[in-house]
Amino acid sequence: MIVAERKPFDEIKDMVSSYKKVLTVGCGTCVAVCLAGGSKEVETLNAELNLAFGKDGVEFGAETLERQCDMEFLDELESKAGEYDAFLSMACGAGIQFLAQRFPDKPVLPAVNTSFIGVNLDVGWYEEKCRACGNCVLDMTGGICPVTMCAKGLFNGPCGGTNQGSCEIDPDQPCAWFQIYERLAAQGRLDQIIKLSPPNDWSNQKPRKVIQPGYEARVKALG
Amino acid sequence: MIAEKSSKTIDVQINKDVLVVGAGKAGLTAAAQIAAQGYKAVVIGNKTACACGAGCSKEMQDAGLVEIQDGTSLVDIAGVAGDFRVTLGKGEETCEVTFGAVVVAPQYTGVPLNSAYGLALNDKVISQTQLEALLADDAGKEKLVNGSGSTVAFLSGFGQEGDPTATGRVLASALEIQKLENCRSYIYAGNVKVGAKGMERLFTQGRNEGVVCFKPKTMPTIEQDKENVKIVITDPVVRADVELEPDYVVVEEGVVVGPDNLGIAQTLGIDADVDGFLPSNNVHRFPVKSNREGIYVAQNDVDAANVALQVKALIGDGVRTLTEDIAVVDDTKCVICLTCYRCCPHGAIFWQDGAAVISPAACQGCGICASECPMDAIQLGEFTDADLKSGVKEAVASAADATPSIVAFCCKNSALEAGEAAAQFGHEMPAGFRMVKVPCAGKVDVDFIMNALVEGADGVMVAACHEGNCKAERGNIYAGWRVEEIRQRLENMGLNKDRVVFTTIASNMAREFACKVNEFAEKL
Repeated sequence: MIVAERKPFDEIKDMVSSYKKVLTVGCGTCVAVCLAGGSKEVETLNAELNLAFGKDGVEFGAETLERQCDMEFLDELESKAGEYDAFLSMACGAGIQFLAQRFPDKPVLPAVNTSFIGVNLDVGWYEEKCRACGNCVLDMTGGICPVTMCAKGLFNGPCGGTNQGSCEIDPDQPCAWFQIYERLAAQGRLDQIIKLSPPNDWSNQKPRKVIQPGYEARVKALG
Repeated sequence: MIAEKSSKTIDVQINKDVLVVGAGKAGLTAAAQIAAQGYKAVVIGNKTACACGAGCSKEMQDAGLVEIQDGTSLVDIAGVAGDFRVTLGKGEETCEVTFGAVVVAPQYTGVPLNSAYGLALNDKVISQTQLEALLADDAGKEKLVNGSGSTVAFLSGFGQEGDPTATGRVLASALEIQKLENCRSYIYAGNVKVGAKGMERLFTQGRNEGVVCFKPKTMPTIEQDKENVKIVITDPVVRADVELEPDYVVVEEGVVVGPDNLGIAQTLGIDADVDGFLPSNNVHRFPVKSNREGIYVAQNDVDAANVALQVKALIGDGVRTLTEDIAVVDDTKCVICLTCYRCCPHGAIFWQDGAAVISPAACQGCGICASECPMDAIQLGEFTDADLKSGVKEAVASAADATPSIVAFCCKNSALEAGEAAAQFGHEMPAGFRMVKVPCAGKVDVDFIMNALVEGADGVMVAACHEGNCKAERGNIYAGWRVEEIRQRLENMGLNKDRVVFTTIASNMAREFACKVNEFAEKL
């Protein structure tokens, strides 16, 4: 899931202070699951803002959509949009941008910082697992991502900085390639580590698009 | 446990069989007592006691009321009280069986505390268990008597805080040795606990037979060489040292919880106390009840009888009337983030068909889940968010003329009663003090507190049960965390964080509660 953190209150307060009426828009998917932008956080943020601005200050509305990364759900704001001067989105960066794209005349402000793609270790505790590099090598690396877990993001490791299982940058940071070696050894698959991965092509980066197999024709028809 | 003014109830059929995990004396006794109530008891674990001796008569076993599956272990459990779907395993094989209730009978092991006395174990320095093994048969007794009789010294209550079980074992063994030909027993006891049935009689019997007891204030001086052990105490009456070189020294044993029991507790989702014993202590529950409805713990015969009564109260004639809306998930809002599942102290939440489900058979209505839910998808029948919010609004409005106005979220198990008692006793309270009743401090949402401030309250107090006293195990802890988070937020906003406080109180502490409220008002 995508993990986000709420922005510091002062930053949010500054962003909204020049508007009269703002709609705080939660997202009921990833950011709800990671306890950053669901309806509870919308309520709490609005209460904080009301407390800060007082009853005669900026006015805040609340709405939580199923997902802000789907146009159909964003359409639900159509009828309300006119009442507000700005949207304060609690979705991830993708949702915020899609909301801004759906309502191009409306200032859309981010209430959260999108952190990473990660997993849930316990209530409120998340860890990054994937950098979305677009070239998954987890088959060769024993299910441990070298791009995320290695400080250098090496596709062929370890480097000379590996130190008794730790990374040279921090003794508490495990060396990803040491862990990869250990896991492959335990699985009897050490031959995998010998394979050389060609360098990932990071040049000329532009927003990536994914069309799931079988949907190409549909997307093409949409133009 | 069940909402007070419930309206929606349903009758559910529940399974009448009971699983007993642990085939020691306590487990088998529990099985016999449960069978005596007319329910079938299946006992699993390694059998370490005589079934008939524990009351599981041949008739009960023949009739299938008690079924002992020696060597079978608990693999997994799903479901809730009345419908526990348990996976049992033996060797490679597993099977799933449904039970209405589960009883855990932990078998703790002993570890000799010889090092606490500076002693090394050898032929002469033995543990209480080793001595009991010798006393169990004639060959062992003969060895103890050793032709001309021997002297046996017991060391107890210096290596650890004494307890009635340990003292009882010492007294019984000492008496038995004293009765052997030409044998003498000496007991060196530190912290003696005799608060159990028959202990005084056992002690008196021993004294009458000639068992010598010393209760020195400090640990005796003990010297051990290759051959002998010398024990010296100072007798305060004769004001002289009393020396003894016994043939045998018996050291007390500490109880080890052991990974088995903790593993079983983890599998069942029940809490242990700080020392690892089962179940966790909770003054709001009967001692044999765990934090999960329908899962009980029997440590001994007395527990076994109480467990049987609890089982009867739960299962009855196989139909249970449940309140449907103690806590309900709105499946259109639920995003199955699993927060509720992870936070529930009663194992009442699972997920099904794309949404979290709260079982009315296991839910105890604390509301921790509802306050943690990021989508406000959970509502308690008796304490809906809408009701609580309007309660806060009314409280603030009614106190608007007074300064300071204080909204106190009061746990109905403690602070609410303390507050009501304070009013009845006539303790002086601030004019603007208003209480909002919550089922547990765990049901105080962050936004309730923030909204109380927005509505205009000068101060907000969250009053929970004392640490370790929460009926829902952890509701007070969650409340404390949330208040701390809000205080931090207020500080970040440049507001006075002391406008929001967390406090703990017991229901009988009316005066203290009034003092706390007055102190808070003063600060505001």
